[in-house]
Formats: sequence, C-alpha cells, structure tokens
Amino acid sequence: MVFSNLFFLCVFLPINLFLYYVINNNRYRNAVLIISSLAFYAWGEPIWITVLILNAFFNYFIGVSIEKRRDKCKRKGILVLAIIANVFVLGFFKYFAFFTENLNTLLDINLPIINIGLPIGISFYTFKSISYIVDVYRGEVAAQKSPFKFLLYVSLFHHLVAGPIVRYKDVEQDINKRALSFESFNNGVSCFIIGLGKKVIIANQANEFSKAFLNMDYSRLPVLGAWAGILLFAIEIYFDFSGYSDMAIGLGKMYGFNYKENFNYPYIAKSATEFWRRWHISLTSFFKDYVYIPLGGNRKFHVRNILVVWLLTGLWHGASWNFVVWGVYFFILLVIEKFVLLKIEKKIPKIIWQLYFVVVILVGWVFFYHTSISKAFQFVSIMFGINASSWSSPEVRIFLNSYMIFIVIALIGCTPVIKTIFGRIKGSMQKKQIGSYSVDQLIKSTVNIAILIVSIIMLVGQSYNPFLYFKF
Amino acid sequence: MKRLQLDAIAFLFIIAVLGVANIINVNKPMVSEMENRALKQKPELKMATVLDGSYFSDYTEYYSDTFILRDRLLKISNNIQQVLFIKESDVKIIVSDKSKEYINVPKATDDKNEDNKENPSDETIPTGTSIPSSTPTPTNNPYNEGDGVGYWVVVDGKAVELFKFNKDNFDFYAQVLNKYNQKIGGKVPIYSLIAPTNSEFVQLRNYKGITDSQNNAIAYLNSKFSEEITAVNAYDVLNEHKDEYIYFRSDHHWTALGAYYAYTAFMETKGEEPITLDQYETVTINNFLGSTYAKTMDKSIEKNPDIIYAYLPFVNYKYEKYRYYQCFDADIIDMKYADTKLDKYLVFLSAGDGTWSKISTENTNGKKLLVIKDSYGNSFVPFLLPHYEEIYVIDPRFYDFNTSEKNIADFIESKGINEVLFVNYMENVNYREFMLSLEGLINNE
Repeated sequence: MVFSNLFFLCVFLPINLFLYYVINNNRYRNAVLIISSLAFYAWGEPIWITVLILNAFFNYFIGVSIEKRRDKCKRKGILVLAIIANVFVLGFFKYFAFFTENLNTLLDINLPIINIGLPIGISFYTFKSISYIVDVYRGEVAAQKSPFKFLLYVSLFHHLVAGPIVRYKDVEQDINKRALSFESFNNGVSCFIIGLGKKVIIANQANEFSKAFLNMDYSRLPVLGAWAGILLFAIEIYFDFSGYSDMAIGLGKMYGFNYKENFNYPYIAKSATEFWRRWHISLTSFFKDYVYIPLGGNRKFHVRNILVVWLLTGLWHGASWNFVVWGVYFFILLVIEKFVLLKIEKKIPKIIWQLYFVVVILVGWVFFYHTSISKAFQFVSIMFGINASSWSSPEVRIFLNSYMIFIVIALIGCTPVIKTIFGRIKGSMQKKQIGSYSVDQLIKSTVNIAILIVSIIMLVGQSYNPFLYFKF
Repeated sequence: MKRLQLDAIAFLFIIAVLGVANIINVNKPMVSEMENRALKQKPELKMATVLDGSYFSDYTEYYSDTFILRDRLLKISNNIQQVLFIKESDVKIIVSDKSKEYINVPKATDDKNEDNKENPSDETIPTGTSIPSSTPTPTNNPYNEGDGVGYWVVVDGKAVELFKFNKDNFDFYAQVLNKYNQKIGGKVPIYSLIAPTNSEFVQLRNYKGITDSQNNAIAYLNSKFSEEITAVNAYDVLNEHKDEYIYFRSDHHWTALGAYYAYTAFMETKGEEPITLDQYETVTINNFLGSTYAKTMDKSIEKNPDIIYAYLPFVNYKYEKYRYYQCFDADIIDMKYADTKLDKYLVFLSAGDGTWSKISTENTNGKKLLVIKDSYGNSFVPFLLPHYEEIYVIDPRFYDFNTSEKNIADFIESKGINEVLFVNYMENVNYREFMLSLEGLINNE
C-alpha cells in the first residue's frame, strides 16, 4: 500500500488511528501497530511478508547474541556473518537476475535467469537491520530484549516501504515508551498533509508533463525540450520522494514517533557534495557511518573509499548499469570538488557555482532516468546541442508557455521561501488571538486544509500512482 | 498546545467522513461518463489472486474508481489543474498517454442497452445465453514503446491531435494492405481511403510546422502500395471544403459532411455519380461534447459544443449486426445514442462495433462490398447504401475468428463479396495496435 491512495487515506488510516487512540495501553498499542503494519505490507505483497518477518527475528536474535558475548572476536564474527547474511538476502532478491544476465553475456553461457521479483521495501528494512546490529556491536545502543518490539521497529508501516532509513537508536525510546501529545499530533498532521500535497499536486503533475519530452522520439527532441524534460523529472523525483518522507515523518508524529528529517532543500545546494548532504540524508549517512568511516574515511585510501560508497549508492538504487554509471558520475564529481573546486571555492563567483550545480544535477538525473545507457548519452548530447534536431520547436514553446506557472511554483517549492514566509507570519501574528487560536496557527491550518482538500480531489482523478522510490 | 488545531480536526473529520460515506454508498457506478470508460469492478476473493497480490491491487483500484462523487470530483480536479497551473493562452498542448486510449472502442455496457432495446432477429438463440468470451480482438501483441504519447492542441475552441509522421508505421500499413492484395487481390478490387484529421486543416497561426504534413504522409503511403491497390484521394476534396463544418471541434472524428465529401471522392475514383446531399433528410443532435473534449476538458470547447447532422438513408435496408453468434437488427442512424453524453457519434452505424455486420438494401445490382474500417467509417458507410446490394462491415478490433470465417479471404469468398474498401483514419495508420489487429484479420490461417 502507499500513502497517497484513497484506500489508505479513507479506510486504513482512520481505522488504525481510532484503534490506536482508543486503546490506552502501550503494549496493546504496539500490537495494533505490528498487526496493522503487517497488514499494510501484505496488502499487495502477501508472500514476501515471510521475508520481512524472518529478517526481523534473525536480526533480533543477532542483536541479543552479540550483546551477550564478551569476547571481541566472537562478537565480530557474529556481526560479520550476520551482515553477510543480510546482504546476501538483499542481493539474492535484488541483484541475482542482473548478475546472471551479465555473467551470461560476459562468458557467453546460458545460466537460467530467475526473476523472483523484489519484495517491496527490502532495501530499506535490510539497511535498518544492519544499522541496528552494527550499533549493538559498537555498544551505541542496547539490544532490544523483546522480539515483538524489534519487529515493530523493522515493520512499522510509516517507514517500511520507502524509508527514511530510520536508525534503531533514534527511536529506541519511542519504541519502549512514547509520549502522545496534541502538539505532536498537530505537527504530524501538518507534515503529512504537506507531504501528500507534494506528491499529489506537484510530483504527479510533473510526471504527466515530463512525458511530453521524455517519451518523445529523441531524434526529434530539441535542445530546449531536453532541458525542460529533465527539469520536470528533477521536480518530480524531489517532490515524490521528499513528499513520501514528509508523510512518513508526519505519520510518526501522529503515533508518537520522532524520525529525523530526510531532506533539507537539496536543490538550493551549490555543489554535488552539498547536494548529498541535503538529499536522502538517511541513506547518505548510512553509507558514511557504516561503509565510508569503517573503510578508513579520509585517513587512508580516501579516493577508494569514496568510490566504494558511490558504487554502492548507485547499485542500491537499482540492479541496472545506468545506476552504476550514475554512482560513478557522482564519485567523479565529488573527487573533483574535493580536491580542486572546493579548494578555490571563494574565487569562483556564486552565479557560476549555481550554474554548475544545475547542470551537473540535471545531467545526473538523465542517467538516473534512462535504464538504457545509450539513450542516456543520446539525451545528454541533445542537451548540449550535439546531434539535436533543433534548438526549440513550436510544441516546446507552447508547452513551456502553458506550464510555466507550474514550473515556477514547483521551483519555489524546492526552496525554503515558503517556510521563511510562515516564519515571518508566526513572528508577527503569534500574539494575536481569535478565540483560543492564535492567528498564525489559523493561517497555517487554513492553508493545510486547502492542500488536503485539493490533494484528495486530485487523487480521485489520478489512477494508481506508485512512488518512484518504491522500487528500490 | 493543549488542543487539536483546526487542520488536525479537519483532517480527521474528512478522512473519517469519506471513509464512512464510501461504505454506506452501495450504489457503485459501473462506468465513468466523464472518462468514457468502464470502471474497475469489485474483484472476486480467490486464493490465487490473494497470494499473488493482484486481489489487493485490484481492490485498491476498484476503491478509487468507485469513490463517492468521483465524476464530479474529477471535473473539479480538472478545473483546479487548469486554474492553478495552466496559463490561459491562444493555444495549449495536452499530452496524453496513448496506451490508455479512448479511441472509439465503445464501453462494455453497450451490450446491455442492446439487449434491452432490440430483439434478436434470430429467435432460436435466447438472449440469456452466455456469450463466448473468447478473445474478442485478434491480437495482443505488446504495445510498441515510443509512440506512447499523443499531443492535443486546443486552438480557437477546437481540439486537434497533432499528427506526427512515423515512417515505420506507414510502411507497416502498406505492408499489411499488400498482404491483403496477395491473398485476395486477383479476385476483387481493393480500395484504400485514408481519412486525414483536422490537424491538417485547422489554422495554427504562429505554430506552423507543429504538425506533420498528412498530404505527404498519404502520398508516401500510396507510393508503397502494390499496383493493384487503388488509393482513393479524399484529401483534395476535404481540403477544398476545409472551411466548412467537416470536423467536430470536440471529437476526433469527421462530421457526416466530411464523410460525405470523402464518399464523393470514392465515387469519382470508381467513375460513378455520387448522390447529392439534398436528397437526404437530416436529423440534428445538439450539445455534442466528444472524445477530445473528454481528453482536454477545455472550457473554450465546452462553451461551444458540436452539433451532429446525420443524413437518413432513403433506400430501404436491413442492417444486421452480429455480436458473436447473436444477431441484432439495428438502425443505420441509431438515435438511442443521441441521449448519451460523450458517445453521440455512435449514432452512426449504431456504434459500428459488431463482430461483423451486414447491410442488405433493396438494390438488386449484385454489387457486394466489404468495408474494413475504424470509426471514421461509421459516418461514411451510410452514404454507400444507394450503390450496393449488400455491404459487409468489419472493424478489425471487434472481429472474432471463432464466430465467423477464420480469415478475411474465406469471408469474402463465402459471402460472394466483389469489392473491398479500407476506410481508416490517419492516427490509426500511425497506431501499431490497430494495424496489428488489421494484420491479424488476414494472417490467421
């Protein structure tokens, strides 16, 4: 199931909230959450629920047994084996077909390609479990004694299928005992509505509009069309994914869980390095804490470590060569930035930085979007006027003219401008009251209600729209 | 904050009310008038569908398809989109995925109307018998990726689909017709009439070049045909009359007037005298908003809906429409569709969606014609009645090999047909799926 879906919104969520709040006991509440999370997962993936449950109990057991042992070698041995097992399961489901396919081409043999299908969310919950056992090993967090509480952590529907990759240590307290408050609930609703609006109002439209260019026969695609198409895709993927994260965080707050932010206005960055500090933060920090630093970080084999992280980041996004190219592309950019550009940062005018960032990010998305690498290169060459049929075309002109408002609104939504405006309103209106509500809250509530109503209406018109990050 | 804020209250209220309303509302619609399609029906609970998960995805789709007040919300949704995001200008482009095509395939529920309003002419088959549900379309080749987008431009209150010449598809059409020629060419003359669309004739002002030349495309096609195939030039006569009301503004079809001009071209090709229009009695159907209106939901089109003028046949005829093994008598101009919202064009040839159909006239000249057509043919065929004794009509999308002859060559032979005419419009020539079903008709052994 996904959040931006009428069935989730009007059936699953109200029933779930009702049961959760009507029961006044933490244990039963946990039971409600576990059962409903499993139902949430089973809705669409009934068989793979076994993999999820096995993963949870396996890693629960590993956590407990690492903690029990004092001997450093044994602890390490268990950890290494457990990580291998986790990665193996992920690899089996996600990369096996890709691997055999390439092996067949490489060696000219004919191994059967088994395509069992990818259990939804496996990339996310595998990483959650790995972060947990490593943290237990490092002594950063105590092992969870209750298998059901651990299952709750792994399976909680808020972040089960598309992240964020919530660390156990960040929610340990919430799992054991959480405080429910009106304040948290209000914030949660607000967060959820904004996420829903991002997905339904912006991302899904951008997806529709981008087809005009991205589904075009590329031999007829003009330069301007290529830029417009990939810009719309950049808008789509940001609003889609950050919208999902917002909804997850919002749901968490409604139920008393606190998750860290996953996005921090990534498109206002000025370099690829900065972009990755702001984009999908839970993934970047996972690779930093569990791969980059253990490999030696910037102390030894610095460049190799960066390469490993980016190959993995690329592959994590999908078992396809274009994601590998995409990862290597960012590796190259990050190395160039680290050793050259950022050293002369001050000498480069701001506007050049901004231009540089827009170009490198959009080119990056080209490789992310196209599963065919040759098509991706063709697209990039069109962007730079090589082999393009023309600079512009009447369709592109009409199109940009009609949809300019949308693009501008969406781009403003990528920046903190709206947040700043609300900050100002809050500053000046907080003291004013209408009845028992403060004016700034009333303004915010009105805007949120409008977004909610528009989102639901637009959802009715949109058929099934899974999230982009759903397939990872 | 010791209280729920208004947005949290509204949120809980809205989701709960909508949830309850959808449970209470047991009267779930079967079709969407707005979108002109059948809605998802409640899936059956089966072990297999539950295990592979399809039950759940079907249920989710069913839930949103039958959401309370869906058609009305859809309309509001379109207005919101236009007001929020789309700048008013003299032209605008709508892009749409063609794989979910509306192209004139009537929706499933038409069956019901038919059962209610007509009596099967063959009394021995009771209406209640289960209709064989075997593959209604002869092909299920995968949809060709790449020609998945269509562009619609709205200009001066008219919706126009931009024509994008795709050489491969045109080669394929010629190839398919040449295949027909190989099989039946020696026995009967073959005519091909390609109907251009309105994008060729609408004034696009500053945006010349936005749509490819259909005249060139037709010329290209003609150059690829085998010699024995006679191309009917409908283009020139339509071009001559381009300022008349020959295309709908809100629908992708030509009007009956447009079809009439194409008919005169056909007659000219055959060296016969066309019947003049003043011999026909006309009926008028007002307030027609058709397929391209549904696609674009454009206000300027809505403000100025189309009028359908239909020309009533003056020769006596019997129109038998087969639906699988059942046969119905139908009217050439079937007014039962005049009361629908988006489907008024279906008055022509009573939707033209029979598995196959036969029109017998009072003429006794021994001329028997087979028309293989898409929906452009529906308004064209009525003009042919004065010239033939029998007219057979086949739409490749509805033909069924199990109910009638295995392929068209046998069909032609068994019915004693002595002339074959193809009437297809530009976008179907450009549309793989349609062409594949056309190919299937002759390929099947």
